[in-house]
Amino acid sequence: MNAPLLRLSGVRKTYPPTVQSSQRFRAFLQILARGRSEGGTTVLQDIDLEVRRGESLALIGANGAGKSTLLKIITGVLASSAGSVERRGSQAALLELGAGFDPEYTGLENLRLNAALLGMSRREIEEKLADILAFADIGKSINEPVKHYSSGMVVRLGFAIIAAVSPDLLITDEILAVGDESFQKKCIRWIEQYLDQGGTMLMVSHNMYHVQKLCRHALWLEQGKPRALGDVHDVVQAYLAWHERKDAAQVAATPSSPHLPSVKQLEIMVPAEDPAVVGDTGDLAVRTVISSPDGRPPVVLFGIVRADGTPVFGISSEEDRIKPRPTADGAWQVSVRFRQLQLMPGDYFVRVCAMDPEGLRACDNHDAEFSVRYPTRQQGLVRLQYEWLAHGDGHPGPP
Amino acid sequence: MLFFQLTGRQIRRSLSSGATTWIWVVATPLLLLAVYAFVFGVIFQARVPAGLEVPFVAWLAVALWPWLAFSDGVLRGAGSIRSNAALISKVAVPRAMLATSTQTAAFLLQLIGYAVVLLVLMIAGIPLHLYALPYLLLLLAALFVFSFGLALFFSAVQVFVRDLEQLLPTLFLFWFFLTPILYAPDMLPGESGRWLLLNPMTWWMEEIRAALFEGKWLPDRVFLVLIAIAGAAAWIGYLVFDRLSPHFEDFL
Repeated sequence: MNAPLLRLSGVRKTYPPTVQSSQRFRAFLQILARGRSEGGTTVLQDIDLEVRRGESLALIGANGAGKSTLLKIITGVLASSAGSVERRGSQAALLELGAGFDPEYTGLENLRLNAALLGMSRREIEEKLADILAFADIGKSINEPVKHYSSGMVVRLGFAIIAAVSPDLLITDEILAVGDESFQKKCIRWIEQYLDQGGTMLMVSHNMYHVQKLCRHALWLEQGKPRALGDVHDVVQAYLAWHERKDAAQVAATPSSPHLPSVKQLEIMVPAEDPAVVGDTGDLAVRTVISSPDGRPPVVLFGIVRADGTPVFGISSEEDRIKPRPTADGAWQVSVRFRQLQLMPGDYFVRVCAMDPEGLRACDNHDAEFSVRYPTRQQGLVRLQYEWLAHGDGHPGPP
Repeated sequence: MLFFQLTGRQIRRSLSSGATTWIWVVATPLLLLAVYAFVFGVIFQARVPAGLEVPFVAWLAVALWPWLAFSDGVLRGAGSIRSNAALISKVAVPRAMLATSTQTAAFLLQLIGYAVVLLVLMIAGIPLHLYALPYLLLLLAALFVFSFGLALFFSAVQVFVRDLEQLLPTLFLFWFFLTPILYAPDMLPGESGRWLLLNPMTWWMEEIRAALFEGKWLPDRVFLVLIAIAGAAAWIGYLVFDRLSPHFEDFL
């Protein structure tokens, strides 16, 4: 009963070589004779996917993974080199910024032409004109040529037209990135309402929040091949993890890193239990060992950070003119004690950061987790010293 | 529906916008007619073929505007895919419609000029056979189909063979002089006039003149040949366009 709105099987796209006119001419003869050309660069392959009504799909992937090319094939702007694309129901696409707008014409003329291209009849356009203009909300600029529009205005107009068409399948490419805050919210509200009413969306976005909020499935493309297809949360998590691994690998591969200080060890000495739990007005003592390949003492920063990332307090060995002590194996050691920790209950990190001897570059980070636990009804991050005052006179009142 | 909208857009673009444009629709052909009257009537003292009692300018104008409609239609249509590259690479437009609406708009604009010119000729007292008008319209319709086919063909080929953009106007200028528009076929020396019959446009021009000046109103075998030529051009143009158009985006 729920036939797919879109089905791609074995889709491949190869861009033919077009740089030299002889290549173009050869391709021309090949297409005339056999209906296809040979050679070229493959940018997409082995794409199989299905989009059913109500099951929105997001395409995610790094830049150049082939997302936009795939969208072009789906909308029919581009012909696939192999495989099949089946479409059912109406389809409307908002591909790139200002796509389909003629800069010389006014917004209104472009609106009419675009709506006609999307299959609206002249009467429908007139009926919905007021709605479209209200949604786009660009005022009198509608009678200005589109070349005078800001990029945000172009997107507003484009989206307003799509919204009026309300197709079975809505295809968007990174459009929410351009509009201002209020228009983005308006778009998201419209999309949510559209999805609630049984609409289906196929979107490309780098905003994983939007992806997870609006889509049910995701396809992760990597260098033109599908890497993962399935539930949006699973795919997005795998994708983000891949990005983190890539970042970490890049940091590790930085060529200067062997010559820079790195944190070898970070240990919470007081309290001694593991995991470390500090009570009301308890102490926290930490020791770190830092290797410094060039034999000079590194600059060390200590900080306390709440589990959600809020920085609480930080100190620097350089500011306090503290020199790390050399250890037997040629590394450097620093210890610090935070007395009578005035933190409110919660989970925290103590973070050490090793800097180069000049104190200019942060080279390495380490975190050690600890918790603060004691009963209290007070609110906030740290306990401040305070006393209640009587009658607002600035003098201590009766206890 | 979409076709008419695109065609209307093209026509409006050619006229740009503003109150004075419709004056130019009438004035441009008349100015052009005045230039031809001066150059060929006064400077060259050109004469019409024997047996016709019309001024040379009238004889020229009757054939010149159909040629302009034909060649303008093909040339503008041929450039339409390349000039709409931005639209084609972003929106799933029916591509053939871009070429044919451009061609139609250019053809219709020249026909408006033709109507103005014919009207002025009649007001000036040139004896035109009005009862042949239906046949003239049939001839123009066939010419439109011929222009339509060539526009489709060249617009598709031009995407792949870009040199065509520079070459086509020159080719059409050559074709213009190989077509008896400024002269009659029997003015050529010896038997060479017969070679002109290989050029389909010769037939169109001869028929159009025969209709307006000699009152030929009944379509005969010649018209069937013209329909066949136009139909063949449209069919081949469509086949080539259909074959090439899915690959446009790769080559634009």
